[in-house]
Amino acid sequence: MIKFASPLRALIPVLVVLLLLALVPLMSPSNRFLSLAISAGINIIALYGLSVLFGQTGILSMGHAALVGVGAYTAALLARDFDIGFWGSIPVAGVMAAIVAAVIGIPSLRVSGHHFVIMTFAFGQLLTIILTNGGEYTGAATGLDMQQPVTMFGIALDPLERFYLLVIAFVTISAVASWAIINSSYGRTLRAIRENEKLAAALGINVGRHKIGAFIVSGVFAGVSGVLLAYFLRHISPGQFASFPSIYLALMVMIGGARLLLGPLAGGILVSFLPEVLNLDPVQSRILYGVCLIAVILFLPNGLIAGIADGWAWLVKVSKRAQASGDAREATR
Amino acid sequence: MSAILEIKGLRKQFGGVTALSGVDLAINEGEILGVVGPNGSGKTTLFNVVTGVHKPTAGSVTWKGKDITGIPANQISRNGIGYTFQQAMAFPGLTVFENVQIATEHSAASARTDFAWPTPASLLEFVGIPGLAREKAGILPFGSLRLLGLALALATRPSLLLLDEPAAGLNDRETAALVGLVQQFPGHGISVCVIDHDMKLMQSLCKRLAVLDFGSKIADGPTADVLHDPKVLEVYLGGEL
Repeated sequence: MIKFASPLRALIPVLVVLLLLALVPLMSPSNRFLSLAISAGINIIALYGLSVLFGQTGILSMGHAALVGVGAYTAALLARDFDIGFWGSIPVAGVMAAIVAAVIGIPSLRVSGHHFVIMTFAFGQLLTIILTNGGEYTGAATGLDMQQPVTMFGIALDPLERFYLLVIAFVTISAVASWAIINSSYGRTLRAIRENEKLAAALGINVGRHKIGAFIVSGVFAGVSGVLLAYFLRHISPGQFASFPSIYLALMVMIGGARLLLGPLAGGILVSFLPEVLNLDPVQSRILYGVCLIAVILFLPNGLIAGIADGWAWLVKVSKRAQASGDAREATR
Repeated sequence: MSAILEIKGLRKQFGGVTALSGVDLAINEGEILGVVGPNGSGKTTLFNVVTGVHKPTAGSVTWKGKDITGIPANQISRNGIGYTFQQAMAFPGLTVFENVQIATEHSAASARTDFAWPTPASLLEFVGIPGLAREKAGILPFGSLRLLGLALALATRPSLLLLDEPAAGLNDRETAALVGLVQQFPGHGISVCVIDHDMKLMQSLCKRLAVLDFGSKIADGPTADVLHDPKVLEVYLGGEL
């Protein structure tokens, strides 16, 4: 019988890290730190969706912030026009972003590789244009305000510490969902498509349909992340979902690594906190991101986490070999 | 013997190039048919058209009495036709076990229930690479990769297997092992059609041969007869010996 390591081995480190992160408010961090951590967390939720799309299926979206935008605007419009609050917005925004992903995906995924990247980029720009020209309804370039508070069981979650914990909870759900997809037969199907489309089709896999499916799945994550963003920022405008945020999302998932479960967590935290830690202004941080991206693509093509894992495996091998040869010398003495 | 797959008047043009110019070919139930021909004679195109990789320009393909001309590649395997590629035989970044697992999971719901190798482990056992289950397919030596490709095609539980140069790049020992496996297929209800240049392999494997040249079938019959056909000798050796 062929035995394999339990898939739980991939999930546990992530849960441990998230548990530690949930303890951060106990150290009474500054509001600035908490705000950064919350935006990082909101991005990480979308990154877990991207990791299914890019890491498993091998499709890169350069317009993913637009899907986050769909979620955010859905939440804002539901609150304004229908008096539907945070918890009601979550499923609706997930579905809306999934529908938009399907609308983008069906024509775009007829092409593959670079062409698809350009298509998603174009759709991202298109959404910004639509939102900017939506007049009163979308608030045009000024955007929309959020009045509704977030509450759970009658407790207001608006104080930063509580909102931070809410975000951590959603990150945990996203990580577990992403893990469940990766370890299901559906996840294997997506990996088959990533590895060899022609062979996947020969084995009876409907490649086109599953690619669109993966895009839709990633859209759900993006939509949920958008709701949290709208309720956190209290004001949303089209510019927040344009090309730069999309590029940042792609950057985070590439730097952290898309295939391993710790990757989105590492990428999201690093990209959000690096400029702060190094005290860089926005122009400098963009230069740094560029340098990081090039370095990662050249030296750690599977991302930072996979690079560290490979390095660790190499060290273990080297030390074992050193020990073995040491033992051998001992024995011959 | 009844024909399980019938190809009639199959034509395929790529721009001005005619790769197949009206080929008729029937594969009978329970046989191992060989299709030979020089490079560029249209062998691989024939497979690609039958398996939905390319759409034919004209002609028809009938599978168990049903017209399957031009249906998409993923539908072909659901109908019970498995095939292997010359290149791109496996999913390189995944483990050998995962490779076969994916293929098993996608065998059609309507697939045969009497199948001899229903699980990934039994397939790996059968082709003789159970020890490689944990390895990434991308690092396998070529011979093992061919066997994995065969296991993947088998996992779809086919009634017909199309093998495109299954022995290309294999040494004599590996080729013999492969022949041993393929010869077992008819006994398990799997008809086989093999493409190859290697006449030694074809003689040991096939009782019937069809020969393609410039996109047309120039011979079809018992292996011994075909190998003595003057037209075939002309194509292969440039004239009589």
